[in-house]
Amino acid sequence: MIFQLSTAVQLQHKKEVRIAANFIIHAPPGEFNEVFNDVRLLLNSDNLLREGAAQAFAQYNMDQFTPAKLDGSEDQVLITEHGDLGHGRFFDPRKKQSFKFDHLRKEASEPQSHEGEVALRPWRDACDEALRAYVKDHYPTGVCTVYGKTIDGQQTIIACIEGHQFQPKNFWNGRCRSEWKFTISQPTAQVVGVLKIQVHYYEDGNVQLVSHKDVQESLIISNEVQTAKEFVKIIENAENEYQTAITENYQTMSDTTFKALRRQLPVTRTKIDWNKILSYKIGKEMQNA
Amino acid sequence: VRVIVRVCACDCVRVIVCVPSLCEDLLSSVDQPLKIARDKVVGKDYLLCDYNRDGDSYRCSTEYRDLYFEGGVSSVYLWDLDHGFAGVILIKKAGDGSKKIKGCWDSIHVVEVQVRAGAPLPVQTGINNVNCFYLPNLGNMDMENKIRSTLNEIYFGKTKDIVNGLRSVQMLADKSKQEALKNDLMQVLSQRSKQQS
Repeated sequence: MIFQLSTAVQLQHKKEVRIAANFIIHAPPGEFNEVFNDVRLLLNSDNLLREGAAQAFAQYNMDQFTPAKLDGSEDQVLITEHGDLGHGRFFDPRKKQSFKFDHLRKEASEPQSHEGEVALRPWRDACDEALRAYVKDHYPTGVCTVYGKTIDGQQTIIACIEGHQFQPKNFWNGRCRSEWKFTISQPTAQVVGVLKIQVHYYEDGNVQLVSHKDVQESLIISNEVQTAKEFVKIIENAENEYQTAITENYQTMSDTTFKALRRQLPVTRTKIDWNKILSYKIGKEMQNA
Repeated sequence: VRVIVRVCACDCVRVIVCVPSLCEDLLSSVDQPLKIARDKVVGKDYLLCDYNRDGDSYRCSTEYRDLYFEGGVSSVYLWDLDHGFAGVILIKKAGDGSKKIKGCWDSIHVVEVQVRAGAPLPVQTGINNVNCFYLPNLGNMDMENKIRSTLNEIYFGKTKDIVNGLRSVQMLADKSKQEALKNDLMQVLSQRSKQQS
């Protein structure tokens, strides 16, 4: 009997931890702490949360491209799956370092030198330099990290960009992320990109914009510097187009879809005269009586 | 929008699984998307909410709904209070899915009408007449228009501004040159108008 109860409790705990982890992974940008604290209250067991949901904390930071800074450096590096070295350590390809990352405190520590893939270094460095200039030109608070990795035998460049603004005192937070990849094994490469934007505005209400776009373009592989230049040109054009489309979408949404849900004014273009409707109704009823 | 709305309904269930004692409080304070049910007897759709889990229903004036929503489903549920009556007016309108955009408008209006002792009452020939008497007052409470304007201008407008604060299509260097030029111009203009006066 006691054995059966224990199994039921274990199953319930497992369910709760899975639910807690799910809430945490979906926390809007800049609101991890708030969601974490609320979930602590629901679960009522810090141990359960810390052990069971540790993977969720790491997953959240990697999904969000959380920027990290090592003491003594102004430069930031992104926490992503591409830099995950295991055992809580991450790779900074620009500084050729690895470091430990505390996912709850969002703090980096214990830097060590880490080479990364030497053969891809010239390509990685060229793309990183070109991308940094681009991010400085278009993102007020942007950070980028470029990796050179061999994946499934293919030499691949992976570029990650992140920009965020957190203003909880004004009840809003926002973040955009983009990830761009191409392989240098063939003369013409396919550039694959995914762009994501999430904005949360919650002053006296609750509105979220969650948007993403997939992009594919061709890129001719020549030398490191030229290829990097063309690569960044593709990124700039696609991201400009995406942002412009979102802005235009707001107007379309306002003019058509939103109006189709509920008009600002009735079809008659004047507000309803309720007294008229009332007298019409009474008149009708008197006729029918 | 659809993803966020869908996640919200599941979230309530998830919280209740963790803390079952919150069930009643949660269901009464969090508005779920309105569900449509079919009244097979009359052949009409009606809306489900917390208020009509047990109670009578009454079909609302469709004039308001058709003028503002050009379709959709609406339901009204009323119940007596000691000194008057209360009710909930539900409206649900789904977008037609054209232009590859999906959306849904749910309205939940909760009203309470207090009848003060000694106030003149209309001639009561049945429940229909009593409600008609109060209709103009209820109808003129223009919360929906205000909320709709607010949604459009402030909420949607604000999120758009935030997006454009995260990234700039125009090069930031050019943007700050433009800002500097604008400020210079304004300074010159204000100095000139001071000199003239």
